[in-house]
Amino acid sequence: MQSSSLYIERNSGLHALHPLTKLALLGLCLVLAFALPDIRWLLAAFGLLLLPLAAWGRILAPFARSGFSIILPFVISLALIQGFFAGGDTALLTLGRFAFTWEGLLAGLTVSARLLVALGGTLLLMLSTRPDHLMLALTERGLPQALGYIVLTALQIFPRFQDRARVILEAQQARGLETQVNLLRRLRLLVPLIGPLILASIVDVEERAMALEARAFSRPGQKTSLISLHDSGFQVLLRTGLLLAALALIVWRLLPLVRA
Amino acid sequence: MITLKHFGYRYPNTEAWALRKISLEIPDGQFVGVVGANGAGKSTLCYALSGFAPHFYRGKTEGRLHLNEVDVLESSLGDLAGEVGLVFQNPFNQISGARYSVREEIAFGLENLGLPPSEIETRVSQVLAQSDLSELAERSPFALSGGQQQRVAIAAIMAMQPSVLVLDEPTSQLDPHGTREVFANLDALTQERAATVVLASHKLEWLAAFCDRVLVLHQGRLVADGEPAQVLADEVLLDYGIGGTRYTLAARAAQQGGLVSAQRALPVTLDQAREFFR
Repeated sequence: MQSSSLYIERNSGLHALHPLTKLALLGLCLVLAFALPDIRWLLAAFGLLLLPLAAWGRILAPFARSGFSIILPFVISLALIQGFFAGGDTALLTLGRFAFTWEGLLAGLTVSARLLVALGGTLLLMLSTRPDHLMLALTERGLPQALGYIVLTALQIFPRFQDRARVILEAQQARGLETQVNLLRRLRLLVPLIGPLILASIVDVEERAMALEARAFSRPGQKTSLISLHDSGFQVLLRTGLLLAALALIVWRLLPLVRA
Repeated sequence: MITLKHFGYRYPNTEAWALRKISLEIPDGQFVGVVGANGAGKSTLCYALSGFAPHFYRGKTEGRLHLNEVDVLESSLGDLAGEVGLVFQNPFNQISGARYSVREEIAFGLENLGLPPSEIETRVSQVLAQSDLSELAERSPFALSGGQQQRVAIAAIMAMQPSVLVLDEPTSQLDPHGTREVFANLDALTQERAATVVLASHKLEWLAAFCDRVLVLHQGRLVADGEPAQVLADEVLLDYGIGGTRYTLAARAAQQGGLVSAQRALPVTLDQAREFFR
């Protein structure tokens, strides 16, 4: 059990940014992902904005590794589906009645690139921001603490699931379950894994809720914090700029539709 | 003072009462052990004393349960959290996940109580030192072993300085050294701060060595209540599926074999056993 989040501790400028600044950056990335018109712009946003930011945060390797491993299944499946079914005139491959077209492939890659930009923004936030700092930043701005905890838990859910699944797999391996096998048999291995994983997760939720109650989480009244987050006038300006840029992009994309 | 009068509790959607007609008083500063076979009601009693039954689990209650002047059945968990602390068996799920380091994890409950940061710092440092956790203070709680996580969970509750501390098998993941430390820290709490400790455990030798009093539960009923030397040496514990301390069992076997006089009181601790076999 090594960690409960994707956060990687580094001494970097990106890490030092206020969580809300990085949240505003994520907001811009999400708007970029859906507002930019084609794949060239999307790849440019990823290559010229997100990759340099990851390098600045000294998290380039984990950023690229996580991004690649998550996006690859989407690229393959979207390219195949769109390539065969989106239509188009330039056939690259014909299989009976079905034609795999250049236009379809491009559409699939474009959707993948949109996901890549959205995912990149999310990874930048998660790899460089302590979940408790994000929760604190949000609750300091008036988000109810219970809701803040839900955000925090959502950020931690995948690493916790991974940890739990690893423990169950190790326990099953210790009882003779063969896991170093081909892909088809690995898929079959999911069956004995999923039951215990879901049941254990339900117990986890109940016990963690009890642990929170035992720590006076639901106690009414003023709460304090040992953690103090560094913010500055520059970062407030930066956040405003990022949000304005996102707004401008939305207006830029919506304007032709309104005129039409 | 904890007071239970004809207290009973039934979990939702069940017919059987998990606790039945329990009446007892526990004065401030007492270290009370709770023993019983699996399913006897130990955990349920812990949940009831800390308000989790019925406020978390729902279910049905009967009788009265008071903590000093506070009616536990009428108070919310949020109100009770500063008065009574609960530590349970699974260490991993007692880590809140809301904080990144052991130091901050221990501070989390104090932050929720609204204490000033300077006091939080003081209490956290004290508890870290007391629980031998100072070297782990800056590490992530999730990167610790099960035993270390359990010590963090206990320390986090101790830092809140509740007047009553309820622990449900808190040392099940600890080695003998860790177990001794936990018992010794709890014993110090009862003596230095007059805190009341109620601890459910199967580790009879440790209960015998540290507790002022032992409660025996069987099928949800309180069937014995008294000093450890008296309660834990009783042969009836075998019938309840609890057994006895290793010292008691060895001494009883020696008496039955005619090696030692049958008139001598059975030991429950190592010191008593030394005297017994001398």
